[in-house]
Amino acid sequence: MAGTATVAQLVDWLHRFAASVAENQTYLTELDSAIGDADHGSNMTRGMNAVVEKAGDPSTVDALFRTVGMTLVSTVGGASGPLYGTFFLRIGTTAGAVGELDGAALSAALRAGLAGVIQRGNAEPGDKTMVDALTPALDALDAGLAAGDDLATAARAAADAAAKGRDATEPLVARKGRASYLGDRSAGHLDPGATSTALLFEALAAALAGAETA
Amino acid sequence: MIGIVVVSHSPALAEAAVALALQMTGDTRPRIAIAAGAGDGVIGTDAVRVAAAIDEVASPDGVLVFMDLGSAVLSTTMALEFRESTVEVRLSSAPFVEGIVAGVVLAAAGAGLDEADREAASAMAAKNAQLGSAGPPAAPQAAPATASATGEVVAEATIVNDVGLHARPASVIVASMAAFDASVTIADADDPKRAASASSLLALMGLALGKGTRLRISGTGPDAAAAVESVRAMTADGYGE
Repeated sequence: MAGTATVAQLVDWLHRFAASVAENQTYLTELDSAIGDADHGSNMTRGMNAVVEKAGDPSTVDALFRTVGMTLVSTVGGASGPLYGTFFLRIGTTAGAVGELDGAALSAALRAGLAGVIQRGNAEPGDKTMVDALTPALDALDAGLAAGDDLATAARAAADAAAKGRDATEPLVARKGRASYLGDRSAGHLDPGATSTALLFEALAAALAGAETA
Repeated sequence: MIGIVVVSHSPALAEAAVALALQMTGDTRPRIAIAAGAGDGVIGTDAVRVAAAIDEVASPDGVLVFMDLGSAVLSTTMALEFRESTVEVRLSSAPFVEGIVAGVVLAAAGAGLDEADREAASAMAAKNAQLGSAGPPAAPQAAPATASATGEVVAEATIVNDVGLHARPASVIVASMAAFDASVTIADADDPKRAASASSLLALMGLALGKGTRLRISGTGPDAAAAVESVRAMTADGYGE
């Protein structure tokens, strides 16, 4: 398999995600106001702005994601704090003190992140949560890598799959989180968490494509 | 004494709930730490703050944590990975306000983690029973007063308090029970099915016994006589109110 993700590219990923979340803040909050407590956009923007402030220029992957995870845990406020926080912390501990990740290592780290999110939120695919975007994204990443695609191409496929997963949350009835209080009335709306997760993979694909700069 | 941690999206909500609970304790109070809000006035929860709160009140007897909803639960489970203390920590499934009241009163009375956790968790059932809307309280009921077993001690007393056997009198009874090695049941003498353990705050409150109710106080165990007499006397005395 070809291609690696350097710490600098991963920092770039987070910067791009922060910019994307800020750009879509109103949209995310609108989605959340339909089925939640109308704070996903502002919470994620506040959290990712803090991440950009604190990320700095770390030399190893685990140091980067430890900072990212702990920052989100302490600044987001809503359920996204512990969920995204766990996601990034697990990525860091799984990746270890290395300066770059090849495709297999990045996939393993992201898989550990997904497992952490599932454990923390007790959610399964189909519950109308960020898991519904994360799971197909990682499946697509792995499928691409297994087919011999380079990392940038596989990441592109992951972003597309995350977007499809996000779209597929619309008819679902929420079984986790604040939206689950709405029962059947949660159907007909995109899940805000799956939507921000799609932005996360779009940012990853852009950072690993590397060609066009932010 | 167990420590109590209160996790809420809102500092105001947490402080008010704790103040309500502390109305029912005397000078003996458990250590209580609040982890509420996400800083800078943001409504939310922060796992790092929760971990610090657990460490702050960590006691060898354990820590019982009450959470409001949603991310409060997620942040608390995450805090268990961050905390430095190694004492046992239990996350209560109790409704927020009722749970905190029961947990604080029970902790002040010297209850262990198991008992405080169980009592707090029975709050929903006790409220349902009070409203007449659902099944019996999940709290362990003392043996029914029909027990013909050895040495049951029985006394009667009438409630004199204007508002009946409400939260504060119930907490006085529960706190007094800690001193005795006895199992005491309080029942409506005219309707003995309405009975609750004298050690169960929420079950007692759930009986909603009003002024003028004649109580049948029964007890078993080594200290039964003293325990029953204690409840009889405090009932006649209006529970110090």
